Amino acid sequence: MKIGLPHAGIVLLVGPSNSGKSTLLNSLITDGAIVPSEVIGSDQFRILVSDKEFIGWGDRPPDEAVGLMEEYNSISKEAFSLMESLIETRCRLDKVSIVDATHLHSADRKRYIALAEKNHVPIISLVFDIPEAELLRRDENRDFPRGKRRIKQQVQVFNREKRWLKKEGFASVYTIKDVGALEFFRHANPLKKEVGPGIDLVGDVHGCFEELLELLGKLGYQKNEEGLFVHPDGRKFVSVGDVMSRGPASLETMQFFQQHVQRDLAFMVDSNHGWKIARWLDGRNVVLSHGDEKVEAEFAAYENEAGSENAKQLKTELKDLLLQAPSHLIFTANGVPVLTCAHAGIKDEFIGKQSAAVSDFCRYGATGGSDVQGKPIRKDWTASRTSQSLIVWGHDPKPRPLLINNTINIDQGVVFGGELTAYRYPEREFVSVSAKENYAGTDGNPLHEWEKNRLSPPNIAKFLNGYSVLTEELGEVKIQQEIVKPAIDSVSHFTVPIEQLLYIPPTMSPTPKPSSLVGYLEHPQEAIDYYRSNGIETLIAEKKHMGSRAVLLLFESKEAAKKQTGLDTLGIIHTRTGKRFFDAELEQQVVNRLHSELQKKGYFRKHKTEYVLLDAEIMPWNLKAKELISAQYAHVAENALLDRSALTGKLAAAAAENEQLTGWLKEYEQKQENAEAFRDVFQKYCWEVDALESIQIAPFHVLAHSGETFFHKPHTWHMAMNREFADGSELFVATEFKLITDQASEDQVIAWWEEMTEDGHEGIVIKPESYIAKNKGKLLQPAIKVRGRKYLSIIYGMDYLQPEILARLKNRNTGKKQKMALKEFSLGLEGITRFQNRESIERVHECVLATLALESDPVDPRL
Amino acid sequence: MYLTIQAQGDNVKAISYLLAKNPNNVYERKQKGHLVRFFYSKCTDTELDATIFITPDPLELIQNKSRSNDITHYINDREFAVSSIFTSLIRSALGTALNGQPKEEYAQWVGHRFPFRFTFGPVASSLSDQQLRALFEPIGYEVEITRPKIDYSIHIKDRSSVRTVSLSGLQTLQDGLRHLFVLIPVIDNYKHYFIDEKEIDKLERYGEGWLETHPNREFIYRQALRFKELYDLVDLADEKEKKESPEKTLRLNDLRYEKIIELLEGLKPKTVVDFGSGEGKLSAKIGFLKGIQEILAVEPSESAALKAMDRFNKLEEKEQFVMPEAIWGSLFYMDERLRDKDAIVLCEVIEHIDEQRLPKAMDTILSVYQPGALIITTPNREYNEVYDMEDHFRHADHRFEWTRVEFEGWCHKRNHQSQYELEFHGIGEEQQFFGHPTQLCIFKRKREFS
Repeated sequence: MKIGLPHAGIVLLVGPSNSGKSTLLNSLITDGAIVPSEVIGSDQFRILVSDKEFIGWGDRPPDEAVGLMEEYNSISKEAFSLMESLIETRCRLDKVSIVDATHLHSADRKRYIALAEKNHVPIISLVFDIPEAELLRRDENRDFPRGKRRIKQQVQVFNREKRWLKKEGFASVYTIKDVGALEFFRHANPLKKEVGPGIDLVGDVHGCFEELLELLGKLGYQKNEEGLFVHPDGRKFVSVGDVMSRGPASLETMQFFQQHVQRDLAFMVDSNHGWKIARWLDGRNVVLSHGDEKVEAEFAAYENEAGSENAKQLKTELKDLLLQAPSHLIFTANGVPVLTCAHAGIKDEFIGKQSAAVSDFCRYGATGGSDVQGKPIRKDWTASRTSQSLIVWGHDPKPRPLLINNTINIDQGVVFGGELTAYRYPEREFVSVSAKENYAGTDGNPLHEWEKNRLSPPNIAKFLNGYSVLTEELGEVKIQQEIVKPAIDSVSHFTVPIEQLLYIPPTMSPTPKPSSLVGYLEHPQEAIDYYRSNGIETLIAEKKHMGSRAVLLLFESKEAAKKQTGLDTLGIIHTRTGKRFFDAELEQQVVNRLHSELQKKGYFRKHKTEYVLLDAEIMPWNLKAKELISAQYAHVAENALLDRSALTGKLAAAAAENEQLTGWLKEYEQKQENAEAFRDVFQKYCWEVDALESIQIAPFHVLAHSGETFFHKPHTWHMAMNREFADGSELFVATEFKLITDQASEDQVIAWWEEMTEDGHEGIVIKPESYIAKNKGKLLQPAIKVRGRKYLSIIYGMDYLQPEILARLKNRNTGKKQKMALKEFSLGLEGITRFQNRESIERVHECVLATLALESDPVDPRL
Repeated sequence: MYLTIQAQGDNVKAISYLLAKNPNNVYERKQKGHLVRFFYSKCTDTELDATIFITPDPLELIQNKSRSNDITHYINDREFAVSSIFTSLIRSALGTALNGQPKEEYAQWVGHRFPFRFTFGPVASSLSDQQLRALFEPIGYEVEITRPKIDYSIHIKDRSSVRTVSLSGLQTLQDGLRHLFVLIPVIDNYKHYFIDEKEIDKLERYGEGWLETHPNREFIYRQALRFKELYDLVDLADEKEKKESPEKTLRLNDLRYEKIIELLEGLKPKTVVDFGSGEGKLSAKIGFLKGIQEILAVEPSESAALKAMDRFNKLEEKEQFVMPEAIWGSLFYMDERLRDKDAIVLCEVIEHIDEQRLPKAMDTILSVYQPGALIITTPNREYNEVYDMEDHFRHADHRFEWTRVEFEGWCHKRNHQSQYELEFHGIGEEQQFFGHPTQLCIFKRKREFS
């Protein structure tokens, strides 16, 4: 007899003592057919928990026998519970557990059947049917004989129970009468397939046969003489299910898959529509709706045309295709799982498992409750996912294929007039074709619904426990729980509305190394060296305005604003912390002025955009920082001047007669100079704002228009745009800049920096020419600030240039700042790109909240 | 930060012995990284002029600050202003004088009163000149306060925020220094070190003989022991002057809770969400509601949520108290946990939110969470006239306050799908023409939608 062991799950041995169970297993181990750790025996666990394998009481007086029996039973109970927990663990890990015990009573077996079911793995049984005489003979020969009476009892029970075994729920039951004639083999996991030369996963076709063929053509599949679509490289295509219903050619599409799946040229997983049609084809009583009725109509037409015999034949073939479709598939590369494909999604613990619960989840996804129309409410199963393995799914049409928590939805609603998407693996590329028409009408069109829900409030559950953002430029950026919460607090109390908060400017690192020059903390040389050593040839040095960073989102019209953000404000200006920059009244004035300027220039028409998103600095500094200047800078300056002038005066008067004081006097004269310089430098960035025109806005990055982001444009382009804004403007001002291409231009920039910073200006920002710069795939700092000697006194204190203080400051570590800058830069780009792609505001907010979180202090861990 | 000690007249040279500082030398010691320096400008038989000052190490001062990424981390007045930092740094240099224990031959001068002039600065204090005088005049000083002139390129402030204080009076050196050691920290805006019970001892030691009878004794204690808990430890004979508490508001708060509880009692909810639960006062009351099974206290602010948790924990053992669950949440996000509850309460919450952001948050509550009832309370702006408030809002963080017509109109607009019945109530003492101080709306979900 050939016995097939499952790829995972439980193999339950059934039979009285001495029926040869352990003996068989030992020989299988010797042969290498199984490994010792797969065998789980109650004897072994009795020893593990109690050091005793067996307790006999047959020959003891009744009182003692009762005592011993009790002891034996309690040992057994503990041993079994430990055993069960081990088996369950092995089930979760897709291992085989061969359970070596008698399992004579149905209650014993049901426990394991339930265990297998709970863990979605198969269970089979090997039943040892050995004559009683033989059992008794063997018992006499063993070390601890069980005793005649016990064996006889067991045989009695076994004979009574064995005929029911088949109906208890085992995937298969093998009855063994002769241990000698057995041959064992193992089933492979039917859900696992090798990627081979590559696969092309195709979204929900829904009978859009024309589009399917066009897509396969685009993917490089060619029709052969048999009419089959094969790929010259041997790639295979994989349907995520729902190939039928709703659309125009369900029958053709199903036939197409039937032919390709049968020849192992394609795969198809089970799905909600597929399952419904399968049961209908199987003659079950099901109500065909949601486009399934179209399939019925197609069959009727086919029957009319081809006759009932052919129709019956086709129905059988398609029924088999659909009923045999696996709940999901796991694609492996060299045996290692790399991608899972399931129609409506899958929980991570279900991957590789099979059961009714797994099939249901794969068909319908996570659902809960039903809406007003009685349709089940689809829940977002991807939201809380943290696993790294990739899952590709369809079912829930979305306008674009998106990578969310390592899941990719490739149903772009072709039947609703959207697109049919293919995901190429291992290339990780999307290929898509547009629908020829909207076949399903507008009623309840999920793509329209999606657009309607685009601005729905973000789901807080996605963020509260910490989360990751998958960014294009830096990969995964992790945000810890304790910094998310204060960011949510800030968004709840202080920021502009979530729909208008698209971007938070990243922090900027100073030079990675302090200046090598005496008397300087920062110098352009170190910034230039950083980029040079990373292979960047052309740099741009932009004058750093000393004001307050601001983000401006300006719309062509209120209608455009409403369309993009759901709010009909013509523009919004916010700070680096997401707060409104001006008070409402002043904001309105500034926005109106900017809007009319842009309209006059024909900006929106010229650039064919509904909005422009700008990264800018707004001056003067006192506009936003008046409180800080008064309470901090002016106050400190007054303190310092009072302290130092008083002491300088005192010391000067006394030093005339006391030589010992000349050193202190000199020291205080210098300190007084420092205090005076400090007082002067912060006033450099302030001026009286008596009219709107006193405000200056320097837009140095054009981040996005409605059709495009501008991260692929070099900074020279952004500077050209900066001039376009400033030209003839009352509010926009140009940013001075210089290019660094060679030694001469480098020297020029350094001289320029020296001159402007000596005059008290903040300094310059040095950037690589391109917006996104990398060295050997590693993202480089997008910008490095180089601040002037005078300016830095308002950062590090008025005496920071004193040699002993400067020496200590030069030990500053910019590593953390640099990492933050890269994270926030990538998050900024990611959020804007998502917004520009019209992704949900939740997905945009994910990036914005992440940057706010990175900038916030952690909260009490209890919260 | 400096202190100048001047005196003129007979025997003033004795002061140098009391200070235990040799007039022929300058004095310099390192204290916690900072330099404590002392020198004489004059020391003759009839004229004494000595200065003690600190040359701080600015980096030492900021090392232990927690908010190190704050822009003002390196820029603050602590390295200049006279404060408890100053007194603690000069304490040992002036130890002999403070303790009144000079060499025996000069002991007679310890109790001798000299015509002193103490000058110190810069003083960074939120106290007015008058308040400063009130501290020093009762203990026998003439007080002179000067403020430097300021001249900024733009209007930053009306006058300088620092001052120099000179005190003239006939005092013993020891008393004079003790006055300063108590009062300099009192007038300073901050305290640099952790305040504990030792502060009380110090006050009593240096205050001996003058502080007990100082007319502003209570104020001095309160300032010196900034934290209320510590202040409460001091047994002050006089009745503690109760700060004028906004009794109105307190009572109104209670009335508000009473009204909400009364309305909830009528609804018999099993599950209630207290949105914007703050410090958890309302949630704690709902915890005693008959038949209640679950209370979610939603709050996005850390400090408030921690206080709420403390409050709930204290009540945990009480009979029939259902512990509210403090959860971190926000009106601007979708939160599955809040769906299908019997009641949601927004007690004095909406007026803290920009009006523009409210409709969407309300849509989420009414259309997505779909509570059996929603209770909203908010100030009635008309009533502000009763309070004589003119244009001010009742709270600095209020983004708006509405009249009854505005609130009612707004509520009806929120019910755009007509799934709720609206009912309006007033809370607090009613005044003709102005209505009640607080207005309340209860949205009850119509039967056909529940």
